[in-house]
Amino acid sequence: MALLEIDDVTAGYGVGPDILTGISLEVNAGRSYCIVGPNGAGKSTLLKVVCGILHPRSGEVRLNGIRVSGLRPDQLLAEGICFVPQEQSLFPEMTVRENLVMGAFLVRDRAVVNERMVRVFELFPLLKDRVSQLAGTLSGGEQQMVVLGRALMVDPKVLMIDEPSLGLAPIVADQIFATIQGFSALGITVILVEQNARRGLESTEWGIVLDLGTKRFEGPAEGILDDPRIRELYLGAALSKGDDE
Amino acid sequence: MTEIIQVLVLGLLLGGVYALMASGLTLLFGVMRIVNLAHAAFIIVAAYIAFYAFDLFQIDPLISVLITMPVMFVLGLAVYLPLFPRIESSARYTEMTVLMTFGLALVMEGLLGFFFTGIFRSTRPPYATDAILWADLFIPTGQLLATGVSALLLIGLWLFLRYTRTGTAVRATMQNRTSAQIVGVNVRRISAISFGLGMALAGASGSLLSYLFPFFPAQHWRWVALLLALIVLGGLGSLKGAVIGAVSLAVASAFVTNQLGPDWSPMTFYLALFIILLVRPQGLFGKALRI
Amino acid sequence: MTDMASDVTPSVSDDTGGRPGTVSRRVLLLVVLAIVLLLPLAPFAAYNYVLQLATVALMWVALASSWNIIGGYASYISLGHNVFFGIGGYTSGLALVYLGFSPFLTALVAGLVALVFGLFVGLITLRAKGPTFIVATIAMLFVVGLLFDNWELVGASSGMSLPLPPFSVDVVKVPFYYAMAASAVGAIFLSHRVAHSKFGLGLRALSQDETKAEVAGINTRWYKVIAVALSAFFIGTAGATWGYSLSYLRPTIFFTIGVAAQMVLSAIIGGRATVAGPVVGALLIVGINEFAIVQFGATELNIVVTGVILLAVLLFFPLGIVGSLREAGRLPAFLDWD
Repeated sequence: MALLEIDDVTAGYGVGPDILTGISLEVNAGRSYCIVGPNGAGKSTLLKVVCGILHPRSGEVRLNGIRVSGLRPDQLLAEGICFVPQEQSLFPEMTVRENLVMGAFLVRDRAVVNERMVRVFELFPLLKDRVSQLAGTLSGGEQQMVVLGRALMVDPKVLMIDEPSLGLAPIVADQIFATIQGFSALGITVILVEQNARRGLESTEWGIVLDLGTKRFEGPAEGILDDPRIRELYLGAALSKGDDE
Repeated sequence: MTEIIQVLVLGLLLGGVYALMASGLTLLFGVMRIVNLAHAAFIIVAAYIAFYAFDLFQIDPLISVLITMPVMFVLGLAVYLPLFPRIESSARYTEMTVLMTFGLALVMEGLLGFFFTGIFRSTRPPYATDAILWADLFIPTGQLLATGVSALLLIGLWLFLRYTRTGTAVRATMQNRTSAQIVGVNVRRISAISFGLGMALAGASGSLLSYLFPFFPAQHWRWVALLLALIVLGGLGSLKGAVIGAVSLAVASAFVTNQLGPDWSPMTFYLALFIILLVRPQGLFGKALRI
Repeated sequence: MTDMASDVTPSVSDDTGGRPGTVSRRVLLLVVLAIVLLLPLAPFAAYNYVLQLATVALMWVALASSWNIIGGYASYISLGHNVFFGIGGYTSGLALVYLGFSPFLTALVAGLVALVFGLFVGLITLRAKGPTFIVATIAMLFVVGLLFDNWELVGASSGMSLPLPPFSVDVVKVPFYYAMAASAVGAIFLSHRVAHSKFGLGLRALSQDETKAEVAGINTRWYKVIAVALSAFFIGTAGATWGYSLSYLRPTIFFTIGVAAQMVLSAIIGGRATVAGPVVGALLIVGINEFAIVQFGATELNIVVTGVILLAVLLFFPLGIVGSLREAGRLPAFLDWD
């Protein structure tokens, strides 16, 4: 059975129009996915539905066969579904250390928290040097590392990252993507949303193309990259932008 | 020189109490983006509680803090839960909170006036009129004790926010609500607790107010205008800013009172507000607001 | 009626009867206007009482409709807008006492003074957005109130008497009635003109999303300042009329939060950002208050009721009466003045 099933989900914000219409998707454990598509396709919205920030208007989300749509984000986190949003999501007036500890907020056992922090420092040695610095004063790339490190503190089953490379210089973005690829090796199921379709698809196994709130195509990431029709129809701007950088 | 220090001391003592009053207001805005126009009305409710505790049971106002704080905490929850979570998703949320708390203030003022009439009230513990003479300085005992209680409570608040799990969750929610959510904080629960906490602080302020200033129902407008000006100066949502704003404005207003008389002292707060608006609209410690 | 017409005009609900809405609406409005104009000529019992009540009602119509320009269209809630009420009242009062000019003549000047003050107020308070702005308006109210409380020339907090108007007791209410009606009609007219102008469209745009409006080329700062100034005018004229009608000026008449509360409440209950809304709301509130006073006497419970109504409206009918009706497509034609 798939780890995560998104079943015919329709969703929108407040009293506004439907952003997603009838999306169905299957996510298997341990694999990595990248959701691509033009602006306004509903990519971020989809992640928000899965992590509980937004409730679907119809349809459901199931984790291991059990319905989870409608639960609060903190409840879903307890199930291992972790979301890294696009907007600045650090606690700017807390130190790097405090940010990481906050990541494991639901974990009561101090020992486990420390253990995980050690692991995060292994993956992100740079953060060790900045442990007592206020997170708001770090550079863009460093902040993103804190955010990803914080996500790892939860020991997530499913890690959803919205635009990990947004606003980052290409070299830094490369590092981030390399790190994300490393997550798969740790057995974490990764779902990315990326404007930079090329990089996103290069770093993952399976690609999903969204446009105007519906799923247009899904298949092996490489295949999507290579398919000229898909490139042209949905990814033209995103891909060429990636190439130029 | 002695006169200047005297005025300074009086200002500082006053500032301590203002800081306590403003802290509750700041907490509400920081955690839930609620601009509580009814905050002073809540303080006055607590003052009435302290008044009757004193009048009927001879409970000292400082001791009554132990009563007003939990009572106001519960009252706060009773007010918060039916009204505020409902409007959370509305488009102009902060504006809604202003209007709602405005309505709340009217209701509370009316009820207080109806039950207790508009007579000026005041508790009269012995220390309210006492003073300590120290090195040529006249230190009113009542004010000193009030500032002491204030300081204790504010330190307690700081310790709570810094070192407890719930307190850290409150801080996280203040800094980035969505991130707090995705990290596992139950922001709804934290919001309710913060509201109750803000009200508890208002409760303590009310107990202190009961003997520091004569109070009556309609007076809350004067106080809330002052407090709002104060926290805008300090920076909305910043506890540090609230405390610093309170103390500095209280000292400034003490000097104004000294020179021009008590009628003009509120002007200090409003003028400071306008100056800050012209110079640095986000306040001393506030972040540039994206409304 | 083509689709394009309904795209361009703000939502005009077609009433279910299928009548040509505009024509009968105009007739109805003319009838209302006629009633308003001819009321003092009817010989009914309790003449002075009714005229006084009507004058008060018209005053709140003027205040709420004016407030609506900044608080409704632009959605910048000002809780201190009655500064202009007092400025108007005192301007005409002073002109009367020291220069001998009748406030019936100087009301327009008072309105202008209020407007200029509005520009000044706008420039300062609109440095802030959202909640800070609201706080600034409250502070502005308190500052001005405080200044008047201590200004010897106008009698400070004790206030000052004004010479009585030169009319006999039988008819003295009549000129005030007409003067206030003029303010009310003027305010409604202004509100309507603003709503149907490019300026009004700009205000609505910035109330939805100020950044987007800026980007679209609207000088949001000036739009807001002008909105404040415009809204001040008829509040000022109403203040001039009111002060004279009381023959007494005192800061507590003009500069209390209660006055601001009723202004804001009227607009919100009736429906912000509509032309008819504040009128409906003002009339309703005056009616409710009067009823409560007659039934229960002037107690603090009136304030409680005001607060409860505000809360109920905010929670359940945030668009107000006119707004909610329009949203539900059930707005009767004679209330659709947009």
